[in-house]
Amino acid sequence: MIETDVLVVGAGPAGSTAAKHAALGGAKVILMDKKSEIGSPKRCAEGVSKKGLKKLGIEPNSRFIAKELDGVRLVSPNGTNVWMTSEEIELPEAGYILERKVFDKFMAMDAARAGAEIKIKTMATGVIKSDEGFIVTCESMGKEFDIKTKILIAADGPESHIGRWAGLKTAQKAVHMESGIQYEMCNLHFERDGVIEFYFGSCAPGGYVWVFPKGDDIANVGLAVIAPKANKPAIEYLDDFVSKSPITKDAQPVEINVGGDPVGGMPKKIYDDHIMVVGDAAGQVNPLTGGGIISGMTGGMYAGQVAAEAIKDEDYSAKYLKKYDSLVRDDIGEEIRKYSIVQEYLLTLSDEELDNIAAEFQNVNFSKVSTTQLIKSLIKVSPKAALKLGKIFL
Amino acid sequence: MIVKDWCSYCGECAGVCPRNLITVKEYSLEFKDDECKGCSTCIIACPISALEKE
Ligand SMILES: Cc1cc2nc3c(=O)[nH]c(=O)nc-3n(C[C@H](O)[C@H](O)[C@H](O)COP(=O)(O)OP(=O)(O)OC[C@H]3O[C@@H](n4cnc5c(N)ncnc54)[C@H](O)[C@@H]3O)c2cc1C
Ligand code: SF4
Ligand code: SF4
Repeated sequence: MIETDVLVVGAGPAGSTAAKHAALGGAKVILMDKKSEIGSPKRCAEGVSKKGLKKLGIEPNSRFIAKELDGVRLVSPNGTNVWMTSEEIELPEAGYILERKVFDKFMAMDAARAGAEIKIKTMATGVIKSDEGFIVTCESMGKEFDIKTKILIAADGPESHIGRWAGLKTAQKAVHMESGIQYEMCNLHFERDGVIEFYFGSCAPGGYVWVFPKGDDIANVGLAVIAPKANKPAIEYLDDFVSKSPITKDAQPVEINVGGDPVGGMPKKIYDDHIMVVGDAAGQVNPLTGGGIISGMTGGMYAGQVAAEAIKDEDYSAKYLKKYDSLVRDDIGEEIRKYSIVQEYLLTLSDEELDNIAAEFQNVNFSKVSTTQLIKSLIKVSPKAALKLGKIFL
Repeated sequence: MIVKDWCSYCGECAGVCPRNLITVKEYSLEFKDDECKGCSTCIIACPISALEKE
């Protein structure tokens, strides 16, 4: 039987980051993914903030950055625009659109360079608890084998099987799982270059439509809906949008992406004896934006660090691993909690209310673009928002 | 459960199944049909309507 200190299941951004930090801390690490190609197919609109990458110590690399961003455009159901780009404000929130197929591979390579062993096209099919840790049953190209590990890091994305098999309640309720669908398209007619665009209202019940630019006429055009709130499958909403919007009227798809985005926040318990759950599998996603790359990697970083320390101290108990829980909740827990309240509030707004807010926003001078600043302005222009969100954000 | 051939193995259905009955391999889906309660949560969540009840 293969034996290791730390086994990370899932080589998405969260798993690779966990593997990297555990290996840097001196642990023997195995990182596995069921895919033939890490990062592909992508299930993501690929937007990240510069600040987030910096915090994680990731140097921007032209091979995984498709486009640098210059600001934001918000569009209400009747077409009212709120522009927040360098034409309006001094410092639009700086970010990138990544090429995730390259980025995810680079993150896995970082883990390998730190010393992790990678098992590609290898799927975890079950977990058995033992006194010394977990035995994970695996399958790879017709071969079946077991891996015995002192610490198991579950980074298996929105499916979150590993945590559930280990007895944790990591599943997201259907009302908290966004159904996402996206085309990567060319021939777009952007009004301004390098702007991420968001369209709100009944075009995407429970979510929004995004247009994230990846080149002069290329973008990820997608949306997410909360299935129980929608009247039809996500793809039908997207096809409607693409056929009606002036920027996509000539656009042609070169790729279609499908996937779930868990926006219900972190479950109560994301660790136990010998196990930590990270990334989408642990609901480490901003519930308002659906962004989970940076927050998942943040979770991965802390879990990797704590795993390495636990191996050194030879203590794999839930009590020891709770440190991971405290670190990750101190860092991103409050943000997830706050944005989840805003997301629930947004769900209550009708198209008309959204149009009114967009109209009021025409008179607001935004000094910078950040989600918090936007919400503060929202509270100023809408008494309903003030009532619901005032206490948390002012 | 009938899995249509346009399924893209994204795993969303597996994530929402309250009974954790769906396993997504790289290019196939497996259901533990005998434990399925027919709640349709997976069918509704699929963004591209790739699931149908038998
Ligand atoms: C449509 C859409 C758009 C999005 N847009 C953005 C965005 O613009 N910005 C942003 O920050 N976030 C975005 N997100 C969210 C983001 O994609 C996720 O939060 C992020 O990928 C989570 O990383 P992860 O490492 O936790 O999981 P994943 O990236 O899902 O990785 C999990 C990995 O585990 C592997 N795996 C699963 N089960 C097993 C198993 N049993 N054995 C072996 N391997 C297994 C999978 O193959 C996969 O590679 C979007 C999500 C969707 C669906
Ligand atoms: S949600 Fe739909 S496309 Fe995704 S794996 Fe399930 S059946 Fe296939
Ligand atoms: S119908 Fe319900 S119980 Fe059956 S597989 Fe789908 S989600 Fe799971």
